[in-house]
Amino acid sequence: MRQIQLIRSSTFLWALAMAAGFALFVVGLFAFIYWELDDYLIARSDRMITTQIHFIAELSPAHRISAIADHLDQDSRGVQYAGLFDAAGTRLAGNIDRVPRELGLDGAVRGVRLDLIKQPAVHDPVVRVVGKRLDGGEVLVVGRNVDETREISSVVGQALALGLLPAFSLCLLAGAWLSLRAQRRVEEVNQRVQRIVAGELRERLPQDGTDDPFARLAGIVNGMLDEMETMINALAGVGNDIAHDLRTPLTRVRLALERGRSHAGTLEELQETIDKAIAGIDQSLAIVTALLRLTEIENNRRMAGFGEVALDEILREVCDVYEPIAEDKRVGLSVVIARDVQVWGDRDLLFEAVANLVDNAVKFTPSGGRVELALEADDDTALVCVSDTGPGISEQEREAVLRRFYRSDKMRHTPGVGLGLSLVAAIVKLHGFRLIVGPAPGGRIEILAWTGRAGKVATRRSRTLLHADADQMG
Amino acid sequence: MNRILLIEDDAETAEAIVAELADRGFEVHWSADGVDGLDRARASSPDAMIVDRMLPGMDGLTVIEALRNDQVRTPVLVLSALGAVDDRVRGLRMGGDDYLTKPFAIIELVARIEALLRRPIDSRETILHVGPLELDLIERTARRGERRLELLPREFRLLEYMMRRNDQVLTRAMLLEEVWNYKFVPATTNLIDVHMGRLRHKVDGTGEVPLIHNVRGSGFVLRSRQ
Repeated sequence: MRQIQLIRSSTFLWALAMAAGFALFVVGLFAFIYWELDDYLIARSDRMITTQIHFIAELSPAHRISAIADHLDQDSRGVQYAGLFDAAGTRLAGNIDRVPRELGLDGAVRGVRLDLIKQPAVHDPVVRVVGKRLDGGEVLVVGRNVDETREISSVVGQALALGLLPAFSLCLLAGAWLSLRAQRRVEEVNQRVQRIVAGELRERLPQDGTDDPFARLAGIVNGMLDEMETMINALAGVGNDIAHDLRTPLTRVRLALERGRSHAGTLEELQETIDKAIAGIDQSLAIVTALLRLTEIENNRRMAGFGEVALDEILREVCDVYEPIAEDKRVGLSVVIARDVQVWGDRDLLFEAVANLVDNAVKFTPSGGRVELALEADDDTALVCVSDTGPGISEQEREAVLRRFYRSDKMRHTPGVGLGLSLVAAIVKLHGFRLIVGPAPGGRIEILAWTGRAGKVATRRSRTLLHADADQMG
Repeated sequence: MNRILLIEDDAETAEAIVAELADRGFEVHWSADGVDGLDRARASSPDAMIVDRMLPGMDGLTVIEALRNDQVRTPVLVLSALGAVDDRVRGLRMGGDDYLTKPFAIIELVARIEALLRRPIDSRETILHVGPLELDLIERTARRGERRLELLPREFRLLEYMMRRNDQVLTRAMLLEEVWNYKFVPATTNLIDVHMGRLRHKVDGTGEVPLIHNVRGSGFVLRSRQ
């Protein structure tokens, strides 16, 4: 199974292809060297026999015969041929039996068959021959066996073939090794990923210091895993917060029920106990509802409910709703509208956001204080500002208040589920607007909205704007 | 006696609803799945229906759609564990008349069923009368007997809503949705109480018989008869 995998692996197949390519290249190289060498050696023997025939022809007729004999004597390997014939073609000297018919006597070298006095045992040699008619009418023929060029070529070919085999094996080995190595790394990555899937979020992919693509890929994936670990931990943190916030009312419910069961003697006492329990459960349910709402807004990428929204109307309505509550608390609530403004958004959500801000402001402003709702606008932005004379949000708390469930120690005992500002932040994000938390003392929270055409564009791009805005908000 | 058909697959929830509604004098029939529920609705033509959204056999919304296609106008209260605004809108668009998200207070359910059964007649009257109260919708004036009530616009709206549904329990959630057009639960839980306090202060003067009453644990009622 593993072998099949190895053979199938693309690395190995590439190595195989490379080996085949290399073999083809070597064969081609061999052919080229063979032809070149052959040409070279033949040209060389041609030059040699041409030189020899001129040398012998220059001699006086008396010396020619002995020169031919000397020439042939010196040739221990028997590759030199020479012959001197008279005008009638009768051999006078040398080892060539007769003048070859195909041979022209013009001094040009040709490859022809030679009839020798002593025929070699093996085969007819391929020879290069040159002939010349001398002044006295005799014919001089000089030749040379070029079989040796074939021999040299075959030696070279053998050498190359011998080299080819190890090279081919080396390619295969390298391919197998690389393929195995890649498979091992993939296997290791797989094991680590399995561990991550199993919940071990701190696990990372192996990332040796090298700069190979594998290490770089691992680096990229590790970066992503870092990001995800942070996010998952943040989510887990939210989970803990939820659990904690749910535990408080549920503990109260439990205590009330327990006490009611053992102490309630009359129907009224029992009803009182049950009312307490229901109130506690309602509080828990309110937390769950608020959370679901938050998730709904955060996940809602559709802008189905979007349309032109008059911000001034929203502000007036919110003021109208909260006026009696502020009055009961002896907090002055006023609305100042510089100009009527329309923005592109979801009316209900924007109403919810502004209502939440005012709700908070009224809640945290002490008696005798003031809450002001203001709407300012210029050509392409609108600013909804909710300011109050309460304690405000300190520098350290600014980021935290936008987190789910954050409630500062001062607010611990104020009713509310602590999701108000998170909801506002989520709604503002959905619209691509910006939420600005002003410095303490005195509460001041602003929503910066884009109006008109720019507003629509900003809305469509809101997903990308969010992150930048979230950074700026901190 | 009003006959109500409840289509709900959770036996325990159904039991609690049936018991509560029976206590209040309704005749309740229970069906545990959509197909059976639709058959019963066609056969018995109840006065109102309570339909759970997620049902075995046939989805709650499909049941309602089928009935509406048959021109059955029976008022329907949709129950659902899906609380998102979109789900609610879809539930109402498919022919539901009201939508209640689980978990709910049983008193809320009863109040809404009663509201559905007594849908205000879309009267062309421009002057509403409840006991000694008189509301002129054109002149935008309110009187209690001879006394003229100086109401702010939001108080006028609230009183109009209550007068159209006199002797009927109105929960805080119903008032938030219908009078203030709230699509969410405000963080300040006594929002409605404060507004109601203002209105009551103007409607029920010292020495007069109170007309607006608190209903313990559920909401408010405007009583025409004492």
